[in-house]
Amino acid sequence: MLYKLRNLKKIYGPRTVLDLDELTMEEGKVIGLLGPNGAGKTTLLEILGFLRAPTSGDLLFRNKAVDFKTNSLIHLRRRVVLVEQHPILFTSTVASNLEFPLVVRKLQRGTRERIVDELLDLVGMRPFKEVKAQKLSGGETQRIAIARALACSPEVILFDEPTANVDVENQIAIERIIREINTEKEISVIFTSHDMVQASRLADDTLFLFDGKLALSTYENIFSGRIELTEDGEKCCFIQNRLSLGVNTPKTGKVRIFIDPTAVRLAPDQEVSTMQNTFCGRMVQLTDEQDRVRALVDVGIPLSVLIPKDQFKSLCLGPGEPVCLTCPPESIEIF
Amino acid sequence: MDFLTDSFLSAFLLLWRLDQELVQIIYVSLKVSSISTFTASMVGIPAGFLIAFGEFRGKSLVITILNTLLALPTVVVGLFVYAFISRRGLFGPLDLLYTQKAIIIGQVILIIPIVTTFTISAISRIDERYRKTAMTLGANLLQTAWVIIREARFGIVAAVVAAFGRVIAEVGISMMLGGNAKGFTRTMTTAMALEYDKGEFVLGVALGIVLLTVSFGVNLCFNYAQGKARI
Repeated sequence: MLYKLRNLKKIYGPRTVLDLDELTMEEGKVIGLLGPNGAGKTTLLEILGFLRAPTSGDLLFRNKAVDFKTNSLIHLRRRVVLVEQHPILFTSTVASNLEFPLVVRKLQRGTRERIVDELLDLVGMRPFKEVKAQKLSGGETQRIAIARALACSPEVILFDEPTANVDVENQIAIERIIREINTEKEISVIFTSHDMVQASRLADDTLFLFDGKLALSTYENIFSGRIELTEDGEKCCFIQNRLSLGVNTPKTGKVRIFIDPTAVRLAPDQEVSTMQNTFCGRMVQLTDEQDRVRALVDVGIPLSVLIPKDQFKSLCLGPGEPVCLTCPPESIEIF
Repeated sequence: MDFLTDSFLSAFLLLWRLDQELVQIIYVSLKVSSISTFTASMVGIPAGFLIAFGEFRGKSLVITILNTLLALPTVVVGLFVYAFISRRGLFGPLDLLYTQKAIIIGQVILIIPIVTTFTISAISRIDERYRKTAMTLGANLLQTAWVIIREARFGIVAAVVAAFGRVIAEVGISMMLGGNAKGFTRTMTTAMALEYDKGEFVLGVALGIVLLTVSFGVNLCFNYAQGKARI
């Protein structure tokens, strides 16, 4: 087992940023950590990188408990490296940046130069070797930051939003590098992302964080809503004043509502259902995800629907086409 | 007007001939100011680093006190040090009064707050990600500190340059603790004050030209360092 977390909490003032009862991460895998902003993904990565101590709870790395109060953390940090969402390069050349982790590990000059050249080749940045790091673009900086992290020969690399704010070309390059890191160098990779599609492309396992807690399902289709009693005595949840869902809950007022994308039913708009909570809209995006298809339907708000591939084929639906979806009671969760 | 022109001409002549007394005064000034600046930097830079990065009770009070000490008058420092090193003082037996060491002690006290506060300011401006990056790349505490100091280097150089500019131009401490002894503790500023008292301006003007040239050089360095820090 690579990591094991037990009753781990991180509290800042009155706010509990992380609250994880139990979480295990296996070795050798690419693990995607998904969640909205403020879910605690970065904090978790920093704890896993031994850069931030949890307020309480246990963290086990390779079955050994980590003591955040001792000076032994430097030895652990030399085995795990974090690449930040907006990585910063030291104000020197690209080569000097890549050399830094090798210098702190007291490697000989010749070895350092060889490793630097190899890493620049891996990230496709050899011509930039003597360029001032501050002259690089966002995507190039990200690639050099990855190469610098690899110079540490780590057992684990943690990526915080590795492709946020980079163009498509760099995004493809970074995803290729992450795959190669895992398959060829056998380094475990843990990355955070907002992007479900990217996670499904890259990750062997995916974990979902919401409000600092592990969520059992995807964090998508979670909205803020307001429950009110209608004139006929039914309870309705209004989402962004654009959608009203009939709900069966004792709660009223402001709530959070989750619509399970795997439980939503999809149909062409000719087959309009008379069932409660049926909405018509337009198919805006279709994504292939292994044995399923992810459909994004605009029904006033964008709703994700996950359906098995064979079922989707029978619907004969394409992007831009009118479509209806039904949210059965079991797909709705109020919290 | 003729008097001023004559003084300037005579002063340039003194400088051209490298008058021995003039050279001696410049040498003492530069020597004392350089040693003071170096000593204060050795104390002020680490102190600034520790204060900038340390989390302790009373941190803002310490910074407020240091900021207040930036406006410390030289005569107050002179009086304070005099009380300790005069014959009747605690360190009287060390015979420090009216020596270059006494001037250095006073000047170090004067500029430690400058070096410290400027260093705090330079390091506080450094992006927090440098520290985190150094740590995750396996740097120990000292190596991490070095990374931060390296990134803040232009700001720190500006702190040292500003401190040097302060001591090279001060007169109170040099006069009170050095005594303006010819060839020994006579600095550019004390010599200029003496020449003014004597009503002889030639040497004073010559020293003024040198002092202004040094100050100009120091300010050039300061602006260069600050400009680099902004990039």
